Amino acid sequence: MSVRPIGLLLAPLLLLAGTAQAQGQSTQNTSQTGPISGYMEMHYNRPIGDSITPPILDFHRFVLLVSHRFSDRIHFFGEIELEHSVVEGLEEKGELELEQAYIDFLVTPELNFRAGMMLAPMGIINERHEPPTFYGVERPFVDTFIIPTTWFDVGGGIHGTLGGKLRYRAYVMAPLDSVEFSAEEGLRGAAQNGSNAQVRHMAVTGRLEYVGLRGLTLGASFWRGDSSVTLVRLETPTSMIAADARYRRGRFEGRAQYAQGFIENAAELNDAVFRLTGVSPNVGSQISGYYLEGAYSVLPRDFPHELGLFVRYEDFDTQFRMDQGNVLLPQFDRDAWVIGANYWLDPDVVLKVDYSHVRSQSDIIAGPRSLNLGIGWWF
Amino acid sequence: MVVLMKRRAETGRSLILSGVLTCAIALPAPAQEATDRPEPDRVVEIVAERFLFTPSRITIEAGTTAELRLTSEDTDHGFLLVGPDDVDVDINIAIPKRNRGVASVFFAPTEPGDYRFECSRMCGAGHLYMSGVIRVTPTPSAPAGEGGSR
Repeated sequence: MSVRPIGLLLAPLLLLAGTAQAQGQSTQNTSQTGPISGYMEMHYNRPIGDSITPPILDFHRFVLLVSHRFSDRIHFFGEIELEHSVVEGLEEKGELELEQAYIDFLVTPELNFRAGMMLAPMGIINERHEPPTFYGVERPFVDTFIIPTTWFDVGGGIHGTLGGKLRYRAYVMAPLDSVEFSAEEGLRGAAQNGSNAQVRHMAVTGRLEYVGLRGLTLGASFWRGDSSVTLVRLETPTSMIAADARYRRGRFEGRAQYAQGFIENAAELNDAVFRLTGVSPNVGSQISGYYLEGAYSVLPRDFPHELGLFVRYEDFDTQFRMDQGNVLLPQFDRDAWVIGANYWLDPDVVLKVDYSHVRSQSDIIAGPRSLNLGIGWWF
Repeated sequence: MVVLMKRRAETGRSLILSGVLTCAIALPAPAQEATDRPEPDRVVEIVAERFLFTPSRITIEAGTTAELRLTSEDTDHGFLLVGPDDVDVDINIAIPKRNRGVASVFFAPTEPGDYRFECSRMCGAGHLYMSGVIRVTPTPSAPAGEGGSR
């Protein structure tokens, strides 16, 4: 008798849930941590209505974080991530990434300096992506195809708090490489990630957050830089703006995010890449997306676990605007419904299930539908 | 200054006193037994979550005894208080994760200045953003702070 992967995934999860319940309150205050912290997430993605694509069981992320205090005013922070569990040379497997490694120089609450490998301060998820902090097995599509999380690179800048209600960060960072832009995934894969990054031009990025009301965070972000890294003679100024909101009150939690990217000289970029590779990437001159998400916690407050139900609607188009002469492909104009649940065995351990239905404007290429299961934890 | 630290389970009435700390700018009073806690002049409720303290800007008068009550909306956090350059402060307590209780610490500064606090327990990718300031104003009559109530 064959054992289905879904059974293999669920068995230890149910065992884990049972153990935690059995121990109940006696384990409530026994959380301990070692010298390092991190988070991990494992996913099971089962396509629906697709007999060709196999189900996937993936140890998606294994992330370790470290920090060090040199003094009250000088701090170090580092984050190393292994994606998809294996890294092999010359093969399309996983990735080992140094996502953060920076030093903070703290001067005043209003003005502090930072330098090193940093996260671009764009949107909700890029700087706040621990699995227990968001609904859904996978990150939102807008945070994948429009804002290319996890978006990180080398640079430096300032950050601080203004009056206790506004927070800001403003950095210069290595620019994107326009030759990596694509019609399907927008800017994804275009960050140089601090690996001998070419910095003939530096990009500037920043974020302003309002945190003056408990439970509410409003944010606005931007990025601008010339992405002519590989194609040095073709200027491709690239910009992105984003606005987001998170709100939590009682059992309700809501999120909204909007992001739009602008690629100047996209037609010339497509021509140049075509001459270089023989294939036009068909990059849009604008990409755009937004999502709305609502969630509600349903279990009694004195229950040792928490269950949150959520629904998210996303609309994202990686060819939102096309220059003349390039081909508009309707399959890249997509929207998606994601509905599911997060079950927290502990505030730091979450089981996730969702159903995701992506739709495109294409009459030929249908968007994928999938059932997704996941487990994520933070320590 | 006398600093007392306690953690209590929300489901229980009794307090679990986990430590008694004193620091260099302490009042001359000896460290007190946990059961002999000072009566605070002011209570300040502080909520910690990734990657924010609310409120993150608090104003109190020098000579005031404030009880800082800290809860978390998500994971474990820490509360480390750093004094102005010439003032030593010895406050660094754990904030238990969501629904696991309250961390409490008494803070009775005698020296005016900005006392910066920060999360001292790694809490995620934005851990180092998590900070705030207690502005201690000279006695008497400074404007009321944004963060506390009695």
